[in-house]
Amino acid sequence: MKNNQFSGSIILLVEDEEALAKGLEYNLTEEGYHVVWAKDGKQALDLVRTKEFDLIILDIMLPYFDGFEVTRLVREKSPEIPILMLTAKTSVDDKIHGLALGADDYMTKPFHLQELLVRVKGMLKRKMWYKKVTTAQPVYRFGDNEINFENLKARSGKQQFQLTTVEAMLLKYLIENKGKIVSRKELLENVWNITSEIETRTVDNFIVRLRKFFEPTQAEPIYFKSIRSAGYMFVGE
Amino acid sequence: MRIKNFLRHPVVIFVLAQIAWLSLVGMWIYWYISNYIIFELVGDKISTQFISKSANLLTLVVGLFLLVAILTSMYLIFIYLNKQLSLTRLYDNFIGNVTHELKSPLASIKLYLETMKLRDVPRSKQNEFFALMINDTNRLNHLINSILNISKLEQKKIAHNYAVYEAESLMREIITKSMHQFKLPPEAVEISGNTDCQCMMDQNAIKIVVDNLIDNAIKYSDQKVRLTINFSVGKKKFVVKFADQGIGILPDDQKDVFKKFHRVYNQNSPNVTGTGLGLYWAKEIIKFHRGKISVHSPGAGKGTTFKIELPIYDPLKKRNLKSLFKNPFLKKIIFEEV
Repeated sequence: MKNNQFSGSIILLVEDEEALAKGLEYNLTEEGYHVVWAKDGKQALDLVRTKEFDLIILDIMLPYFDGFEVTRLVREKSPEIPILMLTAKTSVDDKIHGLALGADDYMTKPFHLQELLVRVKGMLKRKMWYKKVTTAQPVYRFGDNEINFENLKARSGKQQFQLTTVEAMLLKYLIENKGKIVSRKELLENVWNITSEIETRTVDNFIVRLRKFFEPTQAEPIYFKSIRSAGYMFVGE
Repeated sequence: MRIKNFLRHPVVIFVLAQIAWLSLVGMWIYWYISNYIIFELVGDKISTQFISKSANLLTLVVGLFLLVAILTSMYLIFIYLNKQLSLTRLYDNFIGNVTHELKSPLASIKLYLETMKLRDVPRSKQNEFFALMINDTNRLNHLINSILNISKLEQKKIAHNYAVYEAESLMREIITKSMHQFKLPPEAVEISGNTDCQCMMDQNAIKIVVDNLIDNAIKYSDQKVRLTINFSVGKKKFVVKFADQGIGILPDDQKDVFKKFHRVYNQNSPNVTGTGLGLYWAKEIIKFHRGKISVHSPGAGKGTTFKIELPIYDPLKKRNLKSLFKNPFLKKIIFEEV
């Protein structure tokens, strides 16, 4: 497809089903992306170590290392690559597990081609937005906390930790909208690019994690406030 | 036989256990009360020797017997439940595998159809897509047949068309068909042996066994498939060995590979597809043939050898004649020969 502003982006496609991989490769190439295909988890990890990718489309049931393991290992090295899980596993537990490990989006097979293409584009768009806003202001401080959005390292008091890309994007979005109420729906659409009842809980889970990282007392949050039946609000200093 | 099976049923065991403990409690209460009444009435007037010793002994022995019966029943119920639990766990595993196996080809067919709807795909590419779609429908068909075969296997209907064959030549024929089906080049398989014996086999059922062994050799090979098949004759047995140079099976997993729904999955596994039924079928089919199938692997990365032993046909055995009589085509011929 012409006029794709993300044309030329390099996508790593990790899929052991050859027929599916060929079809996806054809479509993504037609959209203007450059596709590298890995047949199994081992090959995927080798490629991630040696090459730079803009996005990973990842199956879960894979030879050698499954998709969960690949996500975990990729996140250790590159917390910023967007990962889209594309899998036959449909259970909520698998979905939550994948997202908690750091996958940015989750689609189940069989999927709609156009929906997949829109999601891929959305993820690349968010990545670009994230890059743009972080280059302008890579380090953000509030209270006793400091976050480096470039390497996703954060510090609260003396404690250091690594954020995942979703956590960082959620933080960034809340900070961008400091002092404003942000609904769960808005967060889902802008940070996760998904809409469904199940994932609403995902937002709450992530907020709990942010509070655990940055709040002096988790039970009485002063930075990440819940606004009853409306959403969340970040109150910086 | 039917009574034996009836007695093994967990509900029957449970009912019997209930009867046993109720009788035990009833008997002991009765024993206690009758002794108590005797003591109350005449206890201080008579010597204790007067109370029947044999009645006490009988109560004790019967009581102990009932107690053992209760414990045994509980033990049997526990084993049964444990078995059910592990089967349920494996069944969940199976559902997961079947879901993957069903959804992958379906997703791929849908993807190609949507691609052709969305884009202007050139003719040559379309042909490529059609071929891939046909391949996927074949895969779906194979899987559906496999699932349907489970019930056939449970009802022992999968091997029913027995006939006497020259064992080695039939095996060679089946292997060649299988190789063709799995697109294995001739140099990938080395066949040796020169036996001269007959076995009673159902060739369709044996084909399922061979297909599964060859499919496994392909799926669990890291590099190029190398399969060595050898025929030999043992003590009243026709022996076929399938040795591959694949990833091997760890000793702990070897005892489980023939179990229903069992699948070995670890980080060394180059394959994730399958239903966990193939080797279970192989075992059951060979069992129907009154033979044996076993596996041996020196360990991870050292290849695997499957050994099939089939009894050599002995026309004097009553059982063999009986089986042959079930085959309508052979009934007439044998009848004339006899």
